[in-house]
Amino acid sequence: MACSQENQKHIYKYLDEEMTLLEKKQFEAHIMKCDECHAQLRELRKTVAIIQSASHFEAPKGFTDNVMKQLPKQSKSQTWKNFMRKHPFILAAATFFLIFAVSLSAAFSDDDKEIVVKGEGQFIVDETRGVVIIPEGESISGDLIVRNGDIEIAGEVTGNITVINGEYLLASAEQVSGEIEEINQFMDWLWFQTKSFFSEVVNFADDSESDNHSD
Amino acid sequence: MDIIVKKIIAEVKKGNQQAFAELMDLYKDKVYHIAYRMLGNVHEAQDVAQEAFLRAYTNIDSYDINRKFSTWLFRIATNLAIDRIRKKKPDFHLEDQVAGTEDLTYYSQISADVDLPEDQVVQLEMQEWIQQEIMELPPKYRAAIILKYLEDLSLKEISEILNLPVATVKTRIHRGREALRKRLRD
Repeated sequence: MACSQENQKHIYKYLDEEMTLLEKKQFEAHIMKCDECHAQLRELRKTVAIIQSASHFEAPKGFTDNVMKQLPKQSKSQTWKNFMRKHPFILAAATFFLIFAVSLSAAFSDDDKEIVVKGEGQFIVDETRGVVIIPEGESISGDLIVRNGDIEIAGEVTGNITVINGEYLLASAEQVSGEIEEINQFMDWLWFQTKSFFSEVVNFADDSESDNHSD
Repeated sequence: MDIIVKKIIAEVKKGNQQAFAELMDLYKDKVYHIAYRMLGNVHEAQDVAQEAFLRAYTNIDSYDINRKFSTWLFRIATNLAIDRIRKKKPDFHLEDQVAGTEDLTYYSQISADVDLPEDQVVQLEMQEWIQQEIMELPPKYRAAIILKYLEDLSLKEISEILNLPVATVKTRIHRGREALRKRLRD
C-alpha cells in the first residue's frame, strides 16, 4: 500500500494522467524514495497491462441473421408506408386520378338536364325523353352538334352530326350525308378534359413544390 | 463513421430493417465482447448481445440521433448484463462453475483444431485466467473496468453508459483496479 492516504490519491491521479507537470515531477521524486508507493504503482500498472492484454472476441457467426429473424415483423401498414416512401409518384398519381375521376363524373352528371343543339334547320327538342328529333321531311343543311341528348333522325342532314354524351338513332344511314361522330367526339372531349385537368395538376404540383422549398 | 452511422439510423427509424443489419455488423463485436466480459460465458453473452440489439431496434425511436449511438447501445447491453448477473446471484457459485467449464470447452475447441505451440497454450491459459479475475470483481466494478480498460472508453462515456456521475465512475475504476491488483499479486 501507499505510505499515506495522500500519496494513495497521488498514485491514482498519476495513473489516470490527471496531474499537472509540477505534481508529476514531485510525485516521481517521491516514488524514487518510497518503496511502498513504488511497489503499489508498479503492481497497478501491471494489473492494467494484464487486463488490457485480454483479447477481443468477435460475435459468433450468424449473429446478425439470428437477430434479424427475431425482429418484429413489419406490419402491413408499415410495409405499405415503406413502399409509398420509395414510390411517392404512385401515391400522387393515384390521388390525382381519383380527383380526376370524381370531377369527370361530376361534369357529366351536372350537365345532364340541359340539351344543347347547335345547327341550322327545323328540329324538335323533346326535353322529357332527352331526344332531339329531326322530323320526317325536314332537312338540315350544315353540321349539327347535339350535346347531352340523343338524336333521332327521320329527316335529312347534309352535314356532319356530332353527338356528345348521347346516342344517335336513325332509320338508315343514307339520311345523313356527312359523318356521324359519337365516340370520337366523346374521346376528344375526354382527352380535352384530361389535358386541362393535368395542366391544372401540374400547376398545383409546382405550387406545392415551391411551398416545400420555402419551408 | 459518425455520418454513416447517422444515415443508417435514419433509415432504421424510417422502418428499414435491412439498415438495421448494417448497424449490427458495425457494433456486434463490441456488444458481444462487453457482454462476454461481464458474464464470462459465451452462451449468455450471445443471449444478452442479441437481446440488446432487439431492444435497440424496438426502442430506436427513443434514441436521440444527436448523441453517440455506441453509448446508447452499450448502455442497453450493460444494463441487460447487470440484470442477468443479479438474477443468477442466488446460485452464483454454481453458475460460475458452469461458466468456467464452458469457457474451457470454448478454448479447447480452438486448441482441438490446431496443434498449438507451447506459448500459445500459455497465452490461452492466461486469457482464461484474466477472465476469471474479472469475474471475481463485483458487477458494478466489473462494468467500469471493462468499459475503461477493454473498450478504452473515456470517463464521460462510461458515466453516460452506466448513468453515474464521472466521480463515481472514477471511484469504481480505482476500487476495481485495486481489487484486481490485490488478487493478481497473490
